[in-house]
Amino acid sequence: MSWFRITLHRSAIGLPKRTRGVLMALGLRRRNQTVFHPVEAQFAGMILKVKELVLVDEVAAPLTPAEVKAERTPDAGFYVETRGPAPASQVALLATPVVSGFGRLPPRAAGSIGDFASEVAKATGRKEVRL
Amino acid sequence: MFGAFRMTNPLSGGLLWKIPWRLSKFQKARQRKRLKAVDSVIATLDTALAKKGETLKALELWKAEMPTEAEMLPKDKYTIFDRKAKRYRKGIHKVPKWTRVSQRLNPPGY
Repeated sequence: MSWFRITLHRSAIGLPKRTRGVLMALGLRRRNQTVFHPVEAQFAGMILKVKELVLVDEVAAPLTPAEVKAERTPDAGFYVETRGPAPASQVALLATPVVSGFGRLPPRAAGSIGDFASEVAKATGRKEVRL
Repeated sequence: MFGAFRMTNPLSGGLLWKIPWRLSKFQKARQRKRLKAVDSVIATLDTALAKKGETLKALELWKAEMPTEAEMLPKDKYTIFDRKAKRYRKGIHKVPKWTRVSQRLNPPGY
């Protein structure tokens, strides 16, 4: 069983309603979208109506939308060796309730920027500095 | 004046919306590429249906009457019949949506 792999290359903006209807019947909603239809006269006729807008290929088996997306996804460039537990500061930040208005500020995660902020606060004489 | 456009200095000079009467060599190259792309779609449909033994009347009509890019004269690739023009021809780029519409045949003799 062979399939048509149809990709919408040109948009149908400004084209008649009928042409846009044919694209909707094929399931093509946006540019560079790829759909699969079995090789039959019915689908060939639809492709013929929009032949100036699409790229067509004959393939053996259809791909799911996830597989089509995976095709164009590049390599991550890294792989995870070991996944450690979530850092404590992250857990604390997430656990703190969001306070609206000028209430108590949530605890800042330990790090150089926090130390620098306290240094700036001491130097300028302010109670707390947000950087 | 024309929708969202404002009357600015460059616009009022009368030079901004000039369209040349003929296609540039790059436009011609792209037009040939587009014609070949449509030919390849037709060929794909033809071989795929032939393998299954099915026929499509519209496809047969296209193959019978429409020339392929190689069979077309440059005159037909880059110009189109116009009964109002002096030599009955005008640039194909004057056709609305010309890059997304098929236009291959002209009246015989013109």
